[in-house]
Amino acid sequence: MRFLSFLLAGLAALALASPASAHFMMLYTPEIAKTESSDLDMRVVFTHPAEAGHTMDMGGINEFYMIHQRGDNEPKKTDLKNYLKQIEWKNPESSGPAFSALIPRKEVRSLGDYTFVVVPGYYHEKEEDVYMQQITKLVLNVGGIPGNWAEPVGLACEIVPLIKPYGVWAGNVFKARVLSEGKPVAGAEVEVEYMNHMPDLAKNRLPEDSAVEYPHDAFITQTIFSDANGYITFGVPKAGWWGFAALGVGPVKEYKGKEMSQDAVIWIKAVDMK
Amino acid sequence: MKKLLCLMAAGALMLAPSAALAHSPICDCLDNGDNTITCEGGFSDGSSASGVRMVVSDGSGQEILAGKMNQDSEFTFDKPSGDYKVQFDAGDGHSVVIDGKNIVE
Repeated sequence: MRFLSFLLAGLAALALASPASAHFMMLYTPEIAKTESSDLDMRVVFTHPAEAGHTMDMGGINEFYMIHQRGDNEPKKTDLKNYLKQIEWKNPESSGPAFSALIPRKEVRSLGDYTFVVVPGYYHEKEEDVYMQQITKLVLNVGGIPGNWAEPVGLACEIVPLIKPYGVWAGNVFKARVLSEGKPVAGAEVEVEYMNHMPDLAKNRLPEDSAVEYPHDAFITQTIFSDANGYITFGVPKAGWWGFAALGVGPVKEYKGKEMSQDAVIWIKAVDMK
Repeated sequence: MKKLLCLMAAGALMLAPSAALAHSPICDCLDNGDNTITCEGGFSDGSSASGVRMVVSDGSGQEILAGKMNQDSEFTFDKPSGDYKVQFDAGDGHSVVIDGKNIVE
């Protein structure tokens, strides 16, 4: 009997731990297709953007930088860690530590692509006693001259887009390749979420108001798999922000003796044709 | 035969503007704050603007100076004292003109 209750408690814990929505590193600024440069107000938050859910401690930020390229000029890397400030991010039912960064216009005044990269620390998921690290990319363009958006940055793991991630129409197909140490990952499980609650940068929160009603839990986090050559394909059904997280594809599988999921995340913004 | 030639000419015409559309010129200039101006250029398909002719003219349209985009598709010149305009001149249908009034730090 005692064993049975133990088992039941264990099952209950497992049920709780398997969340309806996925953990997502958000690297956010309101506009990524910019006509002209301006200061960039950015946020780095580890949360559940599909449901304005739990906000988690990402374990600090190990690296934050951008790679700028205009046309086929040499790409230029700029460290941005100095711009990070710790903030408290407040969702309706959960708050936690996050970061803001105000990147001054002088850093981003040149035309071209800017690929922003965040390598966070390690998040300890207590329920499952595992660690998570989501290495996250966001590609922004100033002025319309493209650059390195389709190039791998050379991260431990990453999602490399095959369509300009800042120039996506609602209804387009998002195609990308999942890489681990530069090599394609076949059969990678990739979670897809819609930013259903638009970040409020003045209040550092995801508001209660949402854009979409989910008919069933299966729609909160969609799951797709990469093909034999590491490609993912996703029809983008609605304007707004879409996040893609390739789970456990990174080379690091263990941290402090515990299992670790090293994930690759990318965000795109789709726009309505009108 | 005449009809065919006409059709081919029309086809060529159709090809030409579509190429231009897929490759539009982009140029932006910034005031460096030290009495110099730097212009950056390129094309919407990412191709280089290296060698593109740059012309700076005064308020009356008189050419003050001219030069070419360098290998990084940049062109720097001394800021004129009065009104001026900058032209990124990559040929027919590939020209961008920027009024000095809109060139800020």
